[in-house]
Amino acid sequence: MSKFGRGTGFAITALVAGMSVAGMSWAGVTDKDILNDQMTTDDVVSNGLGPKGQRFSPLKRVNTDTVKDLRPVWSFSFGGEKQRGQESQPMVKDGVMYVTGSYSRVFAIDVKTGDELWQYDARLPDGIMPCCDVINRGVALFGDLVIFGSLDAKLIALNAKTGKVVWKKKVADYKAGYSLTAAPLLVNGKVITGVSGGEFGVVGKVEAYDAKTGKLVWSRPTVEGHMGYIWKDGKKTENGISGGAPGKTWPGDLWKTGGAAPWLGGTYDPDVNLLFFGTGNPAPWNSHLRPGDNLFSSSRLAISPDTGKIVWHFQTTPNDGWDYDGVNEVVSFDYKANGKTIKAAGTADRNGFFYVLNRENGEFIRGFPFVDEITWAKGLDKNGRPIYSEAHRPGNPAASADGKKGKSIRAVPSFLGGKNWMPVSYSKDSGLFYVPSNEWAMDIWNEPVSYKKGAAYLGAGFTIKSLNEDYIGVLRAIDPKTGEEKWRYKNYAPLWGGVLSTAGNLVFMGNPEGYLMAFDAKSGEMKYKFNTGSGIVGSPITWEMDGEQYISVVSGWGGAVPLWGGEVAKRIKHLNQGGSVWTFKLPES
Amino acid sequence: MAKRITGSLLSAMVLASSLLCSSVAGAAEQADPLQSPMWDYTRQIFLGQMPWQFDARVKVSAPPFAEDPTQVPITVDASALDGEIDKVIAWADLNPIQHIFTWFPGDKVKPRVSLRIKVQQATPVRAAVLTRDGVWHVGGVQLEAAGGGCTAPSTGNADPYWESHLGEIASRRFGSAQSSRYRFKVVHPMDTGLVNNIPEFFLEQLELRDSAGKAVVKMQLYPPVSENPVFTFDLKGNVGQHQLWLRDNSGNEFEQTL
Repeated sequence: MSKFGRGTGFAITALVAGMSVAGMSWAGVTDKDILNDQMTTDDVVSNGLGPKGQRFSPLKRVNTDTVKDLRPVWSFSFGGEKQRGQESQPMVKDGVMYVTGSYSRVFAIDVKTGDELWQYDARLPDGIMPCCDVINRGVALFGDLVIFGSLDAKLIALNAKTGKVVWKKKVADYKAGYSLTAAPLLVNGKVITGVSGGEFGVVGKVEAYDAKTGKLVWSRPTVEGHMGYIWKDGKKTENGISGGAPGKTWPGDLWKTGGAAPWLGGTYDPDVNLLFFGTGNPAPWNSHLRPGDNLFSSSRLAISPDTGKIVWHFQTTPNDGWDYDGVNEVVSFDYKANGKTIKAAGTADRNGFFYVLNRENGEFIRGFPFVDEITWAKGLDKNGRPIYSEAHRPGNPAASADGKKGKSIRAVPSFLGGKNWMPVSYSKDSGLFYVPSNEWAMDIWNEPVSYKKGAAYLGAGFTIKSLNEDYIGVLRAIDPKTGEEKWRYKNYAPLWGGVLSTAGNLVFMGNPEGYLMAFDAKSGEMKYKFNTGSGIVGSPITWEMDGEQYISVVSGWGGAVPLWGGEVAKRIKHLNQGGSVWTFKLPES
Repeated sequence: MAKRITGSLLSAMVLASSLLCSSVAGAAEQADPLQSPMWDYTRQIFLGQMPWQFDARVKVSAPPFAEDPTQVPITVDASALDGEIDKVIAWADLNPIQHIFTWFPGDKVKPRVSLRIKVQQATPVRAAVLTRDGVWHVGGVQLEAAGGGCTAPSTGNADPYWESHLGEIASRRFGSAQSSRYRFKVVHPMDTGLVNNIPEFFLEQLELRDSAGKAVVKMQLYPPVSENPVFTFDLKGNVGQHQLWLRDNSGNEFEQTL
């Protein structure tokens, strides 16, 4: 063919490309879409399938009867040699899936075919310091923007159609140990993010940015004593010191490097118009260096999205000495008691206790262990504060003969927690929480430590031990009204992925062995499993397209367990890495 | 047998009609002086269906041999067309990423720019100048090279220097009565995305702005521009302060008063 012919071909290709983009009829994601996400079945536009984070879908075409026929439709590889932990929850809007991969990568995929539409790879500096693998937990969508946090602590907004950078903001200094791994939260046009870095003595903070422009709106430090700021008409204004003043619950200067990183992001409940963010461990781990409650570490914070002020807080582990981050997701749910509707919030803490709080004011309603053994506390008092077992707090190195190593003790759960980052699901139908948990212990001891910018700031040594020969992971169905465990599924390797429940009386979750599994939500009977080829540490989603129900999950083994796993390592060292999205549906009838 | 004859007749007819088409294109009759196997392809990409001609007034200069294929100094000079220019596109036919830059010179700058580029192998380096009458004027030069410039990791990959100095700009202004020359260097790895495990990361937009904030130079850049690129522009006249603004594909913006 001549040059002319080739030119025509080129023009046709361009035309077809233009048409197919137009064919996707991009409407843009609105605040309303996000607030209604738990009701709308044709999209997934929020992390947690609705800002309350219930991870429950009203879809029931796939149910306990039909799930046995579930088949993969396509699998999409993240490619490259960057196959590390994949903890992302995909989003779906107007026929396009937006999903993140390890090393701060974002992919847009045509959900009909599994074809890639675009890919964004952040160019990361070598000096990034994520503590617990180079993971990312997903994007936020708003208008025509796809927004995510990168490992070098930046918020990046991409054009949803092209993947090109629209705006980019530095949230914090990666050289001081900050990074971003959580999915940002989108509330009323603001993109809200925490920070990671509690192992490096950072100062935790929650920040709100204008989603359209990336302009900072407010910044709320999560360590007592630090000033918050709000920007009004472009002017930075003091917005009150977190906790009122420094030094109330911290000795000396330690609040200046106090940690309390809200690294898992947050949830939002429009009924009470509050953001709920959990905060990580106080820094350093050695609790003898910081007598006091060390607010607001290992806590749940309710923050006003409008003012950036802390409305209430609930601290699960005051003066934490075990790395029991209190970051775990706060799931809003209502229940009836004595004819009254209780606006409650449920949260399963790394310290092994499940808490039910009044989400309007943070009052403690009840708490109970959700793991089989807890040594560090004898229980909770009437306000939900732990009753410590002092014999199970790692000893003070200053009290040892050479001052170099405190008494080593056995603590349960281990620092990786009764539950770690992996989100629970709450089913409105069964009224149960489905909690992915782990049974493990640790030996832990304290060492002297001093702060140095960008260096690990722990002051502790530790090793993890499993409690049972045949399992570590336990998926539990728990009644939040009684604390009763309705059923459990035991898994050999530790569970590290999120849970999804549906009106089809099903509970979905993946395991490190690679299986996407579906359980009967009432009995716990396993109804389906499919091996995705690498460990699942991400959170499944479901949505509906052309009258059919789809289920997607990211596969790719990694996360904190293989990096910190101690004796547990032998149970997981044979697991191979990966990086892909799997999408399933029922065969057409 | 009869069928086959019909078939070949048909294909001959198609061939004839397509030859006819290309002669209708007119200017396409000019043979490529650089005899590049990519000329037809790159011309379709960059010039499309618009009229064009090879034109000696568009001068592209490069050293006879690329000593360092990651840092090849080139100059595009279209001074002879000054006053008529809408935009200038430069590319290297045999690079895996051909496009080097698209430049909108405007009327306050001489249509002459020098910069450094990467080449993957010996290649024609071309510049096409679109004049206001809607015609592309194409010049070019053959650059000899040992190759490998686009798929070698940037030196920034081995040395974390760029991480703390990204976007730093060093500049000099050389003045004379009629003009002033700006030369500046920007710290940036300019990664092509062709090296394993290093995503593309390059300066995408460049503007030189006058004191009122109006762009006097506008340029779109692509990964073949060298790491830590050096640019030279000649401004008409020798007055006023200028500001350099750059943005990379990661959304980083850099700004400096020169």
